[in-house]
Amino acid sequence: MAGRFLRACLTSTMQLRRNLTARPLHRAMATLKGIPTDEEQATGLERRALQALKLGKDPYSMLKPKEYAGTKEDPHIVPSTVNKRLVGCLCEEDNTAIVWFWLHEGPSQRCPSCGSHYKLVHHELPH
Amino acid sequence: MAHQAHPYHMVDPSPWPLTGAVAALLLTSGLAIWFHFNSTILMTLGLVLLLLTMLQWWRDIVREGTFQGHHTPPVQKGLRYGMILFITSEVFFFLGFFWAFYHASLAPTPELGGCWPPTGIIPLNPFEVPLLNTAVLLASGVTVTWAHHSIMEGERKQAIQSLTLTILLGFYFTFLQAMEYYEAPFTIADGVYGSTFFVATGFHGLHVIIGSTFLAVCLLRQIRFHFTSEHHFGFEAAAWYWHFVDVVWLFLYISIYWWGS
Repeated sequence: MAGRFLRACLTSTMQLRRNLTARPLHRAMATLKGIPTDEEQATGLERRALQALKLGKDPYSMLKPKEYAGTKEDPHIVPSTVNKRLVGCLCEEDNTAIVWFWLHEGPSQRCPSCGSHYKLVHHELPH
Repeated sequence: MAHQAHPYHMVDPSPWPLTGAVAALLLTSGLAIWFHFNSTILMTLGLVLLLLTMLQWWRDIVREGTFQGHHTPPVQKGLRYGMILFITSEVFFFLGFFWAFYHASLAPTPELGGCWPPTGIIPLNPFEVPLLNTAVLLASGVTVTWAHHSIMEGERKQAIQSLTLTILLGFYFTFLQAMEYYEAPFTIADGVYGSTFFVATGFHGLHVIIGSTFLAVCLLRQIRFHFTSEHHFGFEAAAWYWHFVDVVWLFLYISIYWWGS
């Protein structure tokens, strides 16, 4: 009973703390003369995206995707929020047909046409 | 709402494009009814619907962008492209009137007396009120830049003052143009000179009024703390639009008022 109560307290404080980061400060505007900064006032998805960028992360794929060699040592990294993702492989840059296949969680897979290596990596979205 | 893995804004269905289109239809047909039958009922209805559409559409977008945070950096980029395309379309709109003016004035027909301004037309002196108007609009271009830098530097007081000054200069321009229209010795019915002059300067005047409204909305939003020092695209779009109106005036002044007189 006491353990359950403790756990409930812990999760609610965790949630409070998590909400705190996403909530703008109440019109603090300490840095400038009366006009807030994005840091102080941006909200919602804009705030989450900006804060992630500040940490060097890009959870919403706003930046140009990274390039990989596609070899066994340097496979194409495919971020996914679930355990599989549909991948389209161009094989060669002037190909007109795209080869589609499902990439699953686990060890890296190869394109059935050109043999490029692909690896699914779990992608966490900020809450 | 489910968590999304992309930075784009999935917009909700909105009735305002439809009410805006109906307002435009009522306004144009209402104007024709006014001109031909001297009844302003339909035009008033169109104006009321237009104002209601503007108010609620603006309110919705302020909610989405400022209060719900849907305007992420990629969304802002899309808004920028949209505004640039819109202003480009406006450039071509005015290009048509300049084309008409130069078509009529570069090789004046015998019916006009083979000269420009046409025989019997006494044009306005470009070095009187039109020159003052040029100075007023150029000054407003300076004050709107002052407002922009104030916002970027976080100077709330200066931002409000300079934006107010810009809007007042816009109103002064509109007032001076109204006086010029009232005192002009020719009318829109005075042949190709009157029609090109009043259609070109009239649409420019309408755009000054629209630009002033846009800036006034920005002033209201600035007073209500909507803009941040980094994110204030509504203001930037209004400033772009204002500069566009300013440049159109320079071309009108040089072509129609100065060269054309």
